[in-house]
Amino acid sequence: MSEQENMGGARRAMPTAISRRHALATGAAALSAPFIARPAFAASRNLRILCWEGYAEPEWLDPFKEEFDADVSISYAGSVDEMFAKMQGSQGADFDLISVDTSGFDRYIGAGLIAPLDLAKIPNSANLSPAFQDLPVLMRDGKQYGIPFAWGSLPLVYDKAQFDAAPESWEVMWDPANAGKLIALDDANNSVTLAAMVLGLDDPFNLTDAQFDMVKEKLIAQKRLLLTYFAGFDEGVNIFANSGVKAMFSMGEPQVAGLRDLGVDAAMAIPSEGAIGWLDCWEVSAGAEDVDLAYAWVNACLSKEVGTILSDDKSYGNAVNEEANTRNGFTYADQLVFLEAPEDFDKRVTVWNEVKAAL
Amino acid sequence: MTSRTSRLLLFALAASVPLLLVVLPIGNFFVMSFWRVSDNVIVPDATLANYAGFLENDAYWRTFLFTIGLCAAVAGIGIAIGYPVSYFIWRLRGRIKYLLLLLLILPLFMSYIVKIYTMRSILGLNGFLNKFLVFTGILDQPSTLFLYNRTAILITMATILLPFVILPIFLTLERIPKSLTQASADLGAGAGTTFWRVVLPLSLPGTAAGALFTFVLALGDYITPQMVGGPNGFTFGRVIWSQFGLAYNWPFGAALAVIMFLFALAVIGLAAFMAARQR
Repeated sequence: MSEQENMGGARRAMPTAISRRHALATGAAALSAPFIARPAFAASRNLRILCWEGYAEPEWLDPFKEEFDADVSISYAGSVDEMFAKMQGSQGADFDLISVDTSGFDRYIGAGLIAPLDLAKIPNSANLSPAFQDLPVLMRDGKQYGIPFAWGSLPLVYDKAQFDAAPESWEVMWDPANAGKLIALDDANNSVTLAAMVLGLDDPFNLTDAQFDMVKEKLIAQKRLLLTYFAGFDEGVNIFANSGVKAMFSMGEPQVAGLRDLGVDAAMAIPSEGAIGWLDCWEVSAGAEDVDLAYAWVNACLSKEVGTILSDDKSYGNAVNEEANTRNGFTYADQLVFLEAPEDFDKRVTVWNEVKAAL
Repeated sequence: MTSRTSRLLLFALAASVPLLLVVLPIGNFFVMSFWRVSDNVIVPDATLANYAGFLENDAYWRTFLFTIGLCAAVAGIGIAIGYPVSYFIWRLRGRIKYLLLLLLILPLFMSYIVKIYTMRSILGLNGFLNKFLVFTGILDQPSTLFLYNRTAILITMATILLPFVILPIFLTLERIPKSLTQASADLGAGAGTTFWRVVLPLSLPGTAAGALFTFVLALGDYITPQMVGGPNGFTFGRVIWSQFGLAYNWPFGAALAVIMFLFALAVIGLAAFMAARQR
């Protein structure tokens, strides 16, 4: 059902980041229908991209088409599942490039849908910030499968008027003194992951049964202090602004701006336990036809200019231009735990349901 | 073509729409509820594991029972508010009667989400209700008691579903022949006796239909409880919802949906049976 997406998207315009982030943070099927943009002119080479809306914008798409005399067809995916289904449907043969985030790697590599990368063919990979070089989450068997492109986080967002200093720990979300003034994102995977991080568990993406029990207990303890859960960017912002909320487990950076628009003196914090981060990468499809052109696109996307546009205009963290990141407050990439495929998604949903059913 | 075959053809055409759009998907769900998921792929099977999974996890059947209780309460509140309102409108004379009825039905033309948001802005901390109560001095300061709890679910659902109660009750009241109430009065019955012994029994079918509508609609609504119910607004519809998307456990979701569907069907069947026996 699509009501939830509606209530997020329709009410107020937010940065373009929304559709992408929403799809990632909730895992829910977003509404946006796939559409294919085809330039009118005929060109000698052809590149087929499957990505999130906002990742093939005219600012870098047009110069690319001109430089390589290439025809670029872009398909936008509305949800993580839709993207995977499209790739699996053709075993990757329908696309040369995709923008999968780090949590999808297991699935795509397991199904043989993306190919290992040859960084020598991407000179601009030298531009990558230290935080994005040789990330273990991008590697399988010593081979790199993705090139970091855009990133963001699910930070702690708080009302400065109700705190003397920025909260240093997620434990504020468990402090009885804040009872009834806390809200949290309603999402199975992210909630379980964050609770595991707060508990200090080694690998928040591979939990044992005993650890699941701890996580469940922790989340039930939090539930008793919550005003409510929320499921959408605007929903969270509206509840926060209208109910005197002190702090929330947020869906992403744009919620801070949304709160400020509503007159809340909001700020975000990456507490000492870290925060969940999402990292979208470019991957070359296993069924790519013009592999060289695909590499050329990845290379173009890693230019400092594109990084600047991403952070200045699109409200994403970028992977190549630290100045642009700093200018826009994206200074915490190294404190994030980038999403990985969890051990058992079904189990996480069950645990989350049990938390929500608990009294 | 004979008229017989053309009639048959027409019937087939008319029947194909509900068959394709209603029966087939439900049948598909029923079949899938016996399948299973293996390595992220849905595999045809003939297992009862999904149904066992429901019974084994007390979080699921407790939520199921809670949801039924909640929806029954919503239906009860709906009748308690809706019946007097319908009765009042029915007793009105002239144009105002249908104007008032139209006004009460009007919310049906509004988006469902807008209605939830409206209720939320009425019940919230900075909402109309709190402002009113503080203004009149009933409360010293705004209260958080009206929103994000189970009371809020009951209030919101009952309000949103009210037209579905009012309409059928009003229609059965309208169908009561005036001669009956007049005869009752002629025989010396007061207004109270006439209501209890003539009007109420004759309007029971509409009342039951209103209660059923409300109950079944509430049963399928997993958005309202979540949006106004706070941490405890978790209902069975939401459990079903959670099995789709990234969880990708469609067979289990299908089994849960079948359980809810059969339950709703049983309630409707029981009501129909009781109505038939009364005649």
